[in-house]
Amino acid sequence: MPKLIIDDIPVEVAPGTSVLEAARSVGITIPHFCYHPALAIAAACRLCAVKLLDGPVKGIQMSCALPAQDGMVVSTTDPEALRMRQLVIEWLMMNHPHDCPVCDEGGECLLQDFTIAGGHSRRRYQGKKRTFQNQYLGETIHHEMNRCIECYRCVRFYQDYAGGTDFGVTGSAGRVYFGRFKEGALESPFSGNLVDICPTGVFTDKTGRFRARYWDYEFAPSVCQHCSVGCNTAPQNFQRETIKIVGRRNDQVNGWFICDRARFDKGYLNDPQRPREARLDGATCGYEDAIDAAAKAIGKFVAQNGAESLAFVASSRLSLEGMTLLAQLARTVDGARLCYFGDGAELAGSVAAARLLHEKNSAYLRDIEKAECIALYSLDLMEEGPMLALAVRKAFLAGAQIYLVDGDPIPAKQKLPFTFTAVANLDEVPFEGGGRGVVIAGAGKKDADLLDQLASGGAKLVMLQPGPNAMAGGLLTLEFGGEAFSELASAGKIKGVVCFEADLPDGLTADVEVLACADWRNSAAAVKAPVFLPTTTWVESDGTAINYEGRAQRFRRTRVSGLPLKGLDSKYYGSAADAAAEHPPRVHRKEIPGGAERDAWRVMAQLIERLGGRTIEEPLTGRWSKLKDLDPEGEGVRVFNLLQGDPRTEP
Amino acid sequence: MIPESLKKTLEARVASAITAREAAVDVMKELQAHYGWLTDEAVGEAASLLGLSPLQVEELATFYEMIYRRPVGKKVIHVCDSISCWCVDCEGIIEHLKKKLGVGLGETTADGMFTLLPCCCMGMCGDGPAMSVGDVPYGKLTPELVDEILEMERQKA
Repeated sequence: MPKLIIDDIPVEVAPGTSVLEAARSVGITIPHFCYHPALAIAAACRLCAVKLLDGPVKGIQMSCALPAQDGMVVSTTDPEALRMRQLVIEWLMMNHPHDCPVCDEGGECLLQDFTIAGGHSRRRYQGKKRTFQNQYLGETIHHEMNRCIECYRCVRFYQDYAGGTDFGVTGSAGRVYFGRFKEGALESPFSGNLVDICPTGVFTDKTGRFRARYWDYEFAPSVCQHCSVGCNTAPQNFQRETIKIVGRRNDQVNGWFICDRARFDKGYLNDPQRPREARLDGATCGYEDAIDAAAKAIGKFVAQNGAESLAFVASSRLSLEGMTLLAQLARTVDGARLCYFGDGAELAGSVAAARLLHEKNSAYLRDIEKAECIALYSLDLMEEGPMLALAVRKAFLAGAQIYLVDGDPIPAKQKLPFTFTAVANLDEVPFEGGGRGVVIAGAGKKDADLLDQLASGGAKLVMLQPGPNAMAGGLLTLEFGGEAFSELASAGKIKGVVCFEADLPDGLTADVEVLACADWRNSAAAVKAPVFLPTTTWVESDGTAINYEGRAQRFRRTRVSGLPLKGLDSKYYGSAADAAAEHPPRVHRKEIPGGAERDAWRVMAQLIERLGGRTIEEPLTGRWSKLKDLDPEGEGVRVFNLLQGDPRTEP
Repeated sequence: MIPESLKKTLEARVASAITAREAAVDVMKELQAHYGWLTDEAVGEAASLLGLSPLQVEELATFYEMIYRRPVGKKVIHVCDSISCWCVDCEGIIEHLKKKLGVGLGETTADGMFTLLPCCCMGMCGDGPAMSVGDVPYGKLTPELVDEILEMERQKA
């Protein structure tokens, strides 16, 4: 363990730690551009210069590429080091445009920060700046090559980390150019990370350029709700619109990066067509009236048909809070059925995962990265959990053997960023004594025997889920005896449903009466339901989601609900005919236009109260109450130990 | 399209390399000799021979100054403008070359014979000012010597 002194602070670090990282561990940030903790060292920018006053090496050194050694005495504030960094900034700025106000990166630009911090303020170089032609890189990423400072972060991420081959660095010396062979959309499904990783404005998010500055954004820690991996994100909102979504570091779940679906698939959050007002028989009504009507309809239905022919249906879009309350709601209506899954196969997969996984056998990101042998069990990894493909790639680069077991071949939409051996069944995968082996299985249809076989193999398991919070659905189905809606419906056991953010299979609702529907989407059930209750999405609510490995993660409300200010419906203006959009309502009002949505669990709590149940302040009760104080900025908590040995107490 | 014989030769060259990338420069040079310069088509062919993407071939092609990604004359003149040659007035030699050939740096003579390119050191610092024409290096250049060399190279072609 090398011991060194940095700016008079004694530091002890693990062997192989760079001086830059050692300084960081005691809270000293040495300016840097090319260094990134997730990428290989390039030592290209020369900004992280420090002076070594004593020890095995002396003088000005690049701290990112210098391993900490015993006896080093490092100064980050020595005048010589300061001068060096100032000069480096000066020559990096030689070609960089001086037009921060018209750059989308302005305000969140590392180059801007370190130029100010480095003390460079006057241009001495009289020559011309070198200029480039930009390339069209698709509809999501904007390219401005003149801003480049040649840190090589983008190409190290794109090719080395993410395994892309269509973007790279060409030329040499002053002609170094980062781009494609020919113009065209970037092929990698991780290309959006170029936006986060570029220390300046070469790559910016085309889907949200020039909408707001960094300091305008409202943001909070959030968890992506597109697949069951649960990558950490930070949606950046402005005037009730989600402008950009950026990755947020969580070393246990997604590392530093997110996939393009997490970043760019956000249109549905801002959609002006989202149902935002409570409706009763097709007409807009007050929220309380709608809840009254829903409670009344449920009471009437139960009186006429009996509670057992009524089902409360949800989907994996619902938060853990909503899911636990749904069980209470079903219990309040004595004997009503509980469905967390629309589809029987999905239920079987998630329940199997909930049953088979435990603290020891459930693999997470680091297990995959460090695995020696990985079997992909008939799944399309790039579709079901793209970020895990990067973890598998990491293991692959470290020498792991990857096998694609094609018991039930699924056509892959995207090329996997590693090479693999295709085998016919799991027995052909040579897990050496089970040590550091991982099986990654998809959410698709698998029979129970097969899943038991996977679990008994000794290798760690990843069982990807059919939706973001399906693992919670599986756990609660076990706990409260949930059923699959498709099976109940085809058996003709139910006559009525109440939907909470449910995704019902097409055609199955034809013969049943939808009593009420709460959703943030215009689903078929929402259109059909006589009572409609608008709910908030994951960016507009606090909540908890449990990912594929059983990790509960809290997401925070990142903005208030309501219509985005941009493109506001004309009914909110002085006159309906006035098309002068892009302006707040000219009618004075206290409430936010279209801001009537409520969190699904709160709607359930109100229904429970109306139906004669208790008043509920806190949705996480019983064994789930341990998750009440989950830190949204933490790494999340695996629920297995939490739930074990703790018989559920009745709330 | 490259002839089948050349394709076979190149495939053998790639097969004998420990990693395909290692053979990239040889493959690019052969294709350049065939086409006269490394055309877009040639980049594509190199990519499929080497198992790389066209971009990855382009990365290498644009790094090396003797791989030409634009059309060049029959013979390319690389004239050194680096510090040792600059000390012995390479600027005068470059001016003379420009005037004599009637082209600027990076341009090709009207008859398609010569392309004039500056280069950064060819390891002939002791014999500066230096240039190479085609594959032949020439040192201790004077305007008169340059005229002779150009005449000779034109004859040889």
